[in-house]
Amino acid sequence: MTDSTEGTEPTDPTEEQTKRDLAARRGAETAVYQPAEDSALLASAVEKRGRGRLLEVGTGSGWVASRAARDVPEVSAVVASDLSPHACRAARERAVAGGVDGATVDEADADAAPAGAPPLFDVVRADLVEPFDDDAFDTVAFNPPYLPTDPENEWDDWMERALSGGQSGRELIDPFLGTVGRVLAPGGVALLLVSSLTGYDAVLDRVRECGFEHEVVVEESYPFETLSVLALTREAEA
Amino acid sequence: MKESLMDILCDPLDKSDLELEVDERDGEEIIEGRLVGTVTGEVYPIEDGIPNLLPPDMRDEE
Repeated sequence: MTDSTEGTEPTDPTEEQTKRDLAARRGAETAVYQPAEDSALLASAVEKRGRGRLLEVGTGSGWVASRAARDVPEVSAVVASDLSPHACRAARERAVAGGVDGATVDEADADAAPAGAPPLFDVVRADLVEPFDDDAFDTVAFNPPYLPTDPENEWDDWMERALSGGQSGRELIDPFLGTVGRVLAPGGVALLLVSSLTGYDAVLDRVRECGFEHEVVVEESYPFETLSVLALTREAEA
Repeated sequence: MKESLMDILCDPLDKSDLELEVDERDGEEIIEGRLVGTVTGEVYPIEDGIPNLLPPDMRDEE
């Protein structure tokens, strides 16, 4: 969510930057977050660490999930989920158009599909990991809405919800860390994108509280933030 | 959604099993139908191939 075309008003840099980021995104696209630097970084982490059955939480336009299905041979099935009905439709349209939707191959039974066939791809409208079984996924990827936002400036529309992490920037990260362990299969990994704008150390504290070991898979610095993707594994297995 | 997705879905309210009811199917893909909580009785719609598994209090917004 780095904005490379910052304006010139000499006010509180962090707050002004956040407002401009949100405003720019809001103007650029009205309902669904479009792929940006953070999406590319999460996709590269998925290429390195994704395998088996993969869930992308908060898939937005479905770009990362489709990349996982198409480009990562270790990934056998992809579930893309989002709270927003607009994002869910966009993700499904992208998958069908990109040919990563396993079911579009005529009437071919998925079990009978030849090796190298596209993995299964499904879209589910969901709140984080709530409607998924225990131990369901080998990989869970999440690029959360993370921009800290003054409650006075919230718009309460779908784009705002795609970007804002509430006052702390961690409004979605905390419940994600508290629940993702349940749906991870033994040996599974969660890939979480963290921005320095959100407070890297505060996220790491929460990671440890929730019983995860972490390592940094990929990291990029931009003028106003550093983005990292953490691989989280259960402490006992690390 | 593919029928195989049933293997990993549960009722978001209590993590109990769901039952699939199909109205329209295209090969493996369930296009229209619903998922029903076997314990809660809650009905989760499947529209245009996308199951809506938000709990009832979060479901209304468009």
